[in-house]
Amino acid sequence: MATSVFHQPPGTAQPHQHFQNSGFRHEFGHASVKLTFKGFKVETGLSRRGGYSSCKRKFGVIQASASHTSVVQPVSYPPNNSTDELRKKSSEAALILIRHGESLWNEKNLFTGCVDVPLTKKGVEEAIEAGKRISNIPVDMIYTSALIRAQMTAMLAMTQHRRKKVPIILHNESEQAREWSQIFSEDTKKQSIPVVTAWQLNERMYGELQGLNKQETADRFGKEKVHEWRRSYDIPPPNGESLEMCAERAVAYFKDHIEPQLLSGKNVMIAAHGNSLRSIIMYLDKLTSQEVINLELSTGIPMLYIFKGGKFIRRGSPAGPTEAGVYAYTRSLALYRQKLDDMLH
Amino acid sequence: MAAGALHRSIRTIQLHGGSNDSASTKEFGNSSLKFISKGFAVDVKFLSNRSRSFSHCKMHVIRAISSHASVVDPIWSTSHVTTNFNQNTSIESSLILIRHGESMWNEKNLFTGSVDVPLTKRGIEEAIEAGERISSIPVNMIYTSALIRAQMTAMLAMTQHRQKKIPIIMHDESIQAKEWSQIFSEETIQQSIPVITAWQLNERMYGKLQGLNKEETVVKYGKEKVHEWRRSFDSPPPNGESLEMCSQRAVAYFKENIEPQLQNGRNIMVAAHGNSLRSIIMYLEKLTSLEVTNLELSTGVPLLYIYKHGEFLKRGSPVGPTEYGVYAYTRNLALYRQKLDEMVQ
Repeated sequence: MATSVFHQPPGTAQPHQHFQNSGFRHEFGHASVKLTFKGFKVETGLSRRGGYSSCKRKFGVIQASASHTSVVQPVSYPPNNSTDELRKKSSEAALILIRHGESLWNEKNLFTGCVDVPLTKKGVEEAIEAGKRISNIPVDMIYTSALIRAQMTAMLAMTQHRRKKVPIILHNESEQAREWSQIFSEDTKKQSIPVVTAWQLNERMYGELQGLNKQETADRFGKEKVHEWRRSYDIPPPNGESLEMCAERAVAYFKDHIEPQLLSGKNVMIAAHGNSLRSIIMYLDKLTSQEVINLELSTGIPMLYIFKGGKFIRRGSPAGPTEAGVYAYTRSLALYRQKLDDMLH
Repeated sequence: MAAGALHRSIRTIQLHGGSNDSASTKEFGNSSLKFISKGFAVDVKFLSNRSRSFSHCKMHVIRAISSHASVVDPIWSTSHVTTNFNQNTSIESSLILIRHGESMWNEKNLFTGSVDVPLTKRGIEEAIEAGERISSIPVNMIYTSALIRAQMTAMLAMTQHRQKKIPIIMHDESIQAKEWSQIFSEETIQQSIPVITAWQLNERMYGKLQGLNKEETVVKYGKEKVHEWRRSFDSPPPNGESLEMCSQRAVAYFKENIEPQLQNGRNIMVAAHGNSLRSIIMYLEKLTSLEVTNLELSTGVPLLYIYKHGEFLKRGSPVGPTEYGVYAYTRNLALYRQKLDEMVQ
């Protein structure tokens, strides 16, 4: 078997040894506990962000499992700043972008924008297919827009994921919503993938074109105007957003909320829309406004980026499970896949 | 011909507003226009309650349609329509209740409550099956809880519906959300089924049991206590709701928001959870607290009620498309189904 196992008695701190095997951190979050015993895994993710403030307890867990599971040989060390910096440099995180599939208005050829229209049967299938393609890529957090077609795409895709962690949608709309959605088991939290919904990832708002079909719009506004709104970078339809305006709020959200997660080594999936994802890709790939206008994202086909050393490395689309291909985009991802294979057989 | 009758009918609506009751309103909401022309149905809806201030728009719509819809043959003359206004005759509407299918925590046997956990593959299939069963029953409005498993169940079920109208989720969490989700085509609005999400339809909040598995809970609190919380009417788990508390907010919501729609002849689908639906059924069927604690709702199997003369008539579960059975629960439903059949040929 490929993985090396550290046989250290529990409680021993081995900070320097850990860094040589930074690849694993990527499945297991911050804690540098690595358990590669065949068929058994203890998940320790220390999340400094977000709602799960259970760091101290997680160490308790590690020690507890060490004492009664002789199969597990944990390597642990107390977290401190210097290790964080070193970790940052060698850490790597996966970023998956998925554009939702066919919606009921796509099928009718109506301008949708921010109207909350659900998926068609075909859109449902596309989401499931997308899920199969990413079933071996680690996901620690999910971000979606506030629209059901993106949320459903994410949830449908995750039913195919091999890791079997459970996405949990976070609710922040009121004090009661927060209280009512609390989870009271640490084990369960560890097996959860937080899902954050954000309007900033919504599709570009199409103003007075929302709900119109192409004929109606051409009749009402004239063919050229419509073409301009659809294809320019900075000309918005009446009461709507230009691609530029959409990019502003989508990329700002990405930088403020998502990039820090990637920096801390979390693997993130974003399920959103054509224009909000193009905007983000414009930022990731440093495209010009001319280039982004010509960028078309396939629906339901996930795109993978590796975030490493502060840079986004484009890795195209993960192959479906039945397709031959160089699966492993990075060594860490190859090891992750292998662990899944071991776990499930 | 048809247009003339339409014009007269329109004036009738303007004079008498929406609050009326005749057999014809069943599919078409408040207005007393019924067009059963073969292959073409004009849907005229006044959404008199709450968030949709579409009523003004709809007036314009009717005029617009009358000017160019020569295919419509109103079966009822306007005189017939007006005489019916003051008779509280056979207004009838259907109410469909669907409990969502398997969620990822059901699969793991964890207490879920109001934690927002999505469906499993099986839950998805159950939703689609449920949709097949109700594919010939009219739906004008949909109510769901604030949790994704109920919303997905509704949206997946509706992908199977034969009428081809499109569910649109209403957003009023903020002014921007309201503005951004506006639709600017009257025709499109008419082909829409508003979907309202309400936390009051959420699953019973399980307090400190949320996320725990059954063993953990019994170990922590003792078998009897847990049994009591799960099966009693008025005993809440720590920081949670009793079934009684859940009923209170669910039934109040139903009476204030859903029942008036039924009274106006609108056909409603409610996609929610075991306890919120039991609470509603307790109200519909006037069950005692003892009877309701023994009531188990199958997952993913829709329940049909006919609302008539202010009463709820239980009609069991609509048969699946391949099953034998007396399909038509009422004459109106039979006519509706017939129209669907004709539309499709």
